[in-house]
Amino acid sequence: MHFRTALKLEFCRRSGRNPRYSLRAFARDIGSDHATLSQILRGRRSLSPRMVRHLGARLRLEPSIIADASAQQSAEAVLRLAQSPGFRVHSRWIATRTGLTVDAVNLAVHRLLHAGDLVMKSPTSWKTTRPHYA
Amino acid sequence: MPNPIVRWQIIAPEPARTAAFYRDVFGWELSAANSMGYRELRTGSESAAPVDGGVWPSPPGQPGFVQLFIEVADLDRCIAKANELGAKTLVPKSILPDGDSMAVLLDPTGISFGICRLAGKRPNPKGPGDVRGSV
Repeated sequence: MHFRTALKLEFCRRSGRNPRYSLRAFARDIGSDHATLSQILRGRRSLSPRMVRHLGARLRLEPSIIADASAQQSAEAVLRLAQSPGFRVHSRWIATRTGLTVDAVNLAVHRLLHAGDLVMKSPTSWKTTRPHYA
Repeated sequence: MPNPIVRWQIIAPEPARTAAFYRDVFGWELSAANSMGYRELRTGSESAAPVDGGVWPSPPGQPGFVQLFIEVADLDRCIAKANELGAKTLVPKSILPDGDSMAVLLDPTGISFGICRLAGKRPNPKGPGDVRGSV
């Protein structure tokens, strides 16, 4: 499950138990601010792996779920970059641009290849097969 | 054409530590100076066809394992034949920045292996290994 969906479901769960539970309260409870959380939930703001780890810990998700969600966000960051002009097929360059480690970039590349979201068509060209999530 | 094993790869939870360990124990040459930042381990074999290897990170929480890469003349045909015989494709044919081509498959018993076609003389698939199947 995408981490954004998990956030939405958790908010729905809490507001379902307490109709007066607001997004502002949810943001406060998970250590975020209302504006940022609102943008995240609406897909207007990307989730960094660091944010996923922070929010996941505040939501008390299983470490394995947080790790997987963080890896997924890394993959989204690589996919987003791969769709931008001037993209270079170079893990160190990708790492610098995304703020990820080279290992995290390579894991993300593997994840995208395995899912069929990325195709290494030539030594200098990678093709993405779906849009990235914000 | 023969289909030799030309490469091995360790999928490791702590790739830097793993690579350093084998470098230190066996005196192998370790280098990540390539476009994928791949930790290559050169064994120093004086064979005409040395079987060198490398270390690739495993996803968080998954155990490490060793993977073999077999050189084939035609990746597409090999993938089709393996799939006919019950394999699954984990990483489809991919052309790496150094020109080598590779794919990773899962055999019918659940063991993953790589196939590759080397662009140059250097036996170095240098790329994403399967990080799902565990031997």
